[in-house]
Amino acid sequence: MRLFIELVKRSFQRQLTYRAATFAGLATNFFFGMLRVAVMIALYGARSDVNGLSLRGAITFTGLTQALIGFLSLFGWYDMMNSIYTGAVACDLLKPMGYFTFWLAQDFGRALAQFVLRGFIIMAAYAVLIGIVFPQGIEQWAAVIVTMLLAWLISFAWRFLVNLSGFWTPDARAIGRFGFVLLYFVTGFLMPLRFFPDWFVRLCYYTPFPHMVNTVVEVYLGVLKGPQLVWALVKQASWAVLLVLVCQLTLRAGVRRLVIQGG
Amino acid sequence: MSYVIGIYRRLISVQIRSQMQYRFPFLVDLVATGFITISGFVTLAFVMQRFGSIAGWKLGEVAFLYGMVETSFGLMDMIFSGFDPGNFGRQTRLGRFDQLLLRPVDITLQVLGSEFVIRRLGRIAQGVVILILALTMIHIHWTFVKVLYLPVVLSSLIAFFGGLNIIGATISFWTLESIEIVNIFTYGGTEMMSYPMQIYPHWLRDFFSYVLPAIFLNYYPSLYFLGKPDPLHFPTIAPFLAPVAGFGVLGIALAFWKFGIRHYQSTGT
Repeated sequence: MRLFIELVKRSFQRQLTYRAATFAGLATNFFFGMLRVAVMIALYGARSDVNGLSLRGAITFTGLTQALIGFLSLFGWYDMMNSIYTGAVACDLLKPMGYFTFWLAQDFGRALAQFVLRGFIIMAAYAVLIGIVFPQGIEQWAAVIVTMLLAWLISFAWRFLVNLSGFWTPDARAIGRFGFVLLYFVTGFLMPLRFFPDWFVRLCYYTPFPHMVNTVVEVYLGVLKGPQLVWALVKQASWAVLLVLVCQLTLRAGVRRLVIQGG
Repeated sequence: MSYVIGIYRRLISVQIRSQMQYRFPFLVDLVATGFITISGFVTLAFVMQRFGSIAGWKLGEVAFLYGMVETSFGLMDMIFSGFDPGNFGRQTRLGRFDQLLLRPVDITLQVLGSEFVIRRLGRIAQGVVILILALTMIHIHWTFVKVLYLPVVLSSLIAFFGGLNIIGATISFWTLESIEIVNIFTYGGTEMMSYPMQIYPHWLRDFFSYVLPAIFLNYYPSLYFLGKPDPLHFPTIAPFLAPVAGFGVLGIALAFWKFGIRHYQSTGT
């Protein structure tokens, strides 16, 4: 456990050193957020509520999703794949810690740093400049924290699996690109899934993807309440457990397949 | 001139041949890049089904804007990827740009020929499909001038986006790393131009009209093609400024690029 915490800390600090990149990312995320706010306002026009979502809620959605980009590495994450291709994976596999846990710890540090440096600042800017809604009461705040942690775990497991394909093929970048492109659409990142037809939303919820973004959004906005909220968190947690198991099994098969490239 | 074209053709054919060596990744990439465009369009279609229209623009009309931008940006991204700021910054840092400078061929031509990403065909194809879908959903009153003007607008858009890429690449002479801020103008620009630009706040619209003339490249020509009234009350010549704005930006970018090369200092790598 001490090793785990140490890795989280190191990874967090590493993120803090890329100041220029963080600032650029922040500016870009915020600019896109502004464009998306304008689209929402124009779409709503004179409407005040669309399928349970108010205009203020829809605006908050754009801020929240822009804030999640860095936290969940929504636009892609290839660190592990790169380490496979440089050969660093050979050392990593020898470390006195499971390979999955090793990357989990590092990604937690990365996600925390991204949350503090980008997510939090974007939400603060939204709150001051545009106006957003906030969760009500201690229970909802607690639910938001839980759902965000689960969303991160699901997103990490997915990214781990995508990167793990590097154990099988020397050019998994293309697979990676596809694996990440998929996320824009079916996680409810581009638009709240509530705006989509019901049959399509049902289809999405057969996969773990909506639990990365859409569930977080709906918990934060308070769209899900009482038993619905609990049920959503249970489903999210189940997907997290299932995906972590899949990661472990795939990893075990992959280690037997792995040929170390270079060195 | 034929000498220049010959060299360019050779550089590009090397690129194409090397990229075709990896057939499987190439195919997956083709599908992945195309998928972005398609998912963007399906999202738009779903949302428009729920809302009916955005600022008085129907699905087919917004799809027209979107298809124009996707097709031209995809083409630009294939042709001008040598100037892609991220990639170019890396090449400069590694000292590869110095190698190019030593060769007895025009440097702009070499950078242009140094990268030709054929997997962008995926995005281009999807852009064209969206454009065709848009044309089946709306009724454009085609005139002779409109038929002639459409390819002019598309090539102006390519020139505009290419100019932005060249400006980004030139800036990396000084910063030596990819400056993500440039993404605001390239990717932000495409996102912005995919919607009717009347929806954006005043200051943002002014910036993209008078500083970076994006509004004349897609929004105004589209008003003309679709026969829609102009809610912003620009002079009636506005829809026909696309080539001036597009090739103007490209010209300024090339001048800046020449200036950058004259002041270029190697990293010594």
